[in-house]
Amino acid sequence: MEPQDRIMDGDLQTLGLQSILKMLALSGKTGTLLVHSGPETLVISLRKGQLVALHEEGVPQPDLLGMLCLINRLDPPRAQALREASQGNLQIALALMVEQGWMTASEMQQRLEFAVTQSISHALRWVDGRFAFHRQMVTMESKMQPLDVDSVLLEALRQADEWEELGETSLTRTTVSRWLPEVSKDVRSLGLNQEHIDVLCLSNGEIPLQGMALVLMLPEARVARMMLRLLELRLVEVVDTSLEAELQQDLSNIIIMCQHTLAQQRQNNSPIQHLLGLINTLGQCINGLLIHHGTFAKSLRGRGQLPVIEIVRYLERRFSQPLQTLAKQQYPILETATFSNGQLDYSEIIGLDSLVKGEQLEEFYWEAVLGLAAFLRTVFTALLQDEVGNSHTGRQLNIVWKAFMTEVEQEIQQYQLYRAHQNVQQNRTRRTDALETGQNWNMRNEGNLQWSPETQRRLM
Amino acid sequence: MVEPTVLVVDDSPTVRKIVQMTLQREHIRVITASDGLSALACVADEIPALILLDIQLPRMDGYHICQIIRKNLQFRQIPIIMLSGKDGLFDKMRGRLAGSTEYLTKPFDSVELIQTVKKHLVDWQSRMPVRNGEMRPRLRRRG
Repeated sequence: MEPQDRIMDGDLQTLGLQSILKMLALSGKTGTLLVHSGPETLVISLRKGQLVALHEEGVPQPDLLGMLCLINRLDPPRAQALREASQGNLQIALALMVEQGWMTASEMQQRLEFAVTQSISHALRWVDGRFAFHRQMVTMESKMQPLDVDSVLLEALRQADEWEELGETSLTRTTVSRWLPEVSKDVRSLGLNQEHIDVLCLSNGEIPLQGMALVLMLPEARVARMMLRLLELRLVEVVDTSLEAELQQDLSNIIIMCQHTLAQQRQNNSPIQHLLGLINTLGQCINGLLIHHGTFAKSLRGRGQLPVIEIVRYLERRFSQPLQTLAKQQYPILETATFSNGQLDYSEIIGLDSLVKGEQLEEFYWEAVLGLAAFLRTVFTALLQDEVGNSHTGRQLNIVWKAFMTEVEQEIQQYQLYRAHQNVQQNRTRRTDALETGQNWNMRNEGNLQWSPETQRRLM
Repeated sequence: MVEPTVLVVDDSPTVRKIVQMTLQREHIRVITASDGLSALACVADEIPALILLDIQLPRMDGYHICQIIRKNLQFRQIPIIMLSGKDGLFDKMRGRLAGSTEYLTKPFDSVELIQTVKKHLVDWQSRMPVRNGEMRPRLRRRG
């Protein structure tokens, strides 16, 4: 936009948004009003003093089509078709919905009007910032009927006042809530009305409060009240999206690292080395997860820098019991593994080759692999439940984890097949005294081990 | 806005899922293939904006796939990022000679992955080949 087109500018402390809009409306101006505050910008188009379009920059726009699906106003295949056809443009998507008969023209107008009022209401609360009015109109596609500035301002101010009435609250328009996984009862028995249930349906850990207000066409402060009620009832929790992104990245890096170690140990060409490689992969993965949990455990979060000893104590308290149980009930070899500085010390298992050799060593290593795999599953399940619960992030991480554990199990099965093959060979040798023993471990790589699915199942 | 599509070719389901999860968070659509031949089929069907390609693959290795794509006039502009556990100079040179755009060594960091992918997705729409007679999906009109 050219500087010579600028008719006026200034800061919001001197002239508030309300006064600017009133002045422009009264004088019947045509042009574009730009209002900046921090990273946010509001672009308002006026024609002859009427509001014709509004666009918000610097804030992610909520996915209205996805939200309409969550409250059963639209089915997902239709939403997908609309997304593709509208190229992500909300105005076009709504117009297409009207065209298809999925929404009335008056509802579209109401929705667009509400979105404008909501944005202005938010901007009315800006204290610091600047504005500029340009004579030139910015080309903004708008399917909205022109709006009277006075009525928009009236409703926007009312909505802004509702926020003030809410008083001290930690909730903001960007707060994201998520269903608590423990809820099992019928929420209707809690005396919630339809609006509360809609907010509950939208609490998927991704939609901000502002988005909920937009799709339900309710003032943000009213949605905040409902969210507070759901929090009180322990039906939802508030999500820290940036923390979850960080947590997801950290866990992804650990899994990628372990998958890499697992892939490398596939090159081992003896069964003992293969087992040792698996022990190291599993141990490395367990310790990686323990370090991660020391940073992201719910009870350790938000307390600033904690002394290492406190983190170590927490981890040992949390995981030594499951380790002992596994050792007592199924895998006695795990008794040799201990916790040291919040890490699993399995060096005694690795060092078994200095005490025993041959088949006995293989037996010990095999038990250690099974025991560590079981412990790894226990650690991950407990960690995920504690850190993110059954959220979208939690479910995504669970999918990745299952893929990784499938790879680990395939490696374990390779060894089981080898053992079964060895046993069959030995039995046959005993019976016929004619066949040679000592099948090569490398046969697994040559594809010579062909077992029927039924045999494989029996070997498991 | 239309999301760019990234094709991830890796025989490890773990790597495929992790890359998918990581990039989807960045609003990038991800399709996957577990071997060389399926990868080529995906390229022809979907024309991805970028390819993340492992080197050691069943049926056809990553170098070979890269060469085939580079020889094809329709797909040669697609950036190809090699993903490999081999970090030797020779391997990187071989990847470059086959026509790869960049080389990421496994185990990669998810932030590094996002940065590299985003770097090569700048202006992806202008590079996309147009198929003959292809039209964008349209909504069925009523009446």
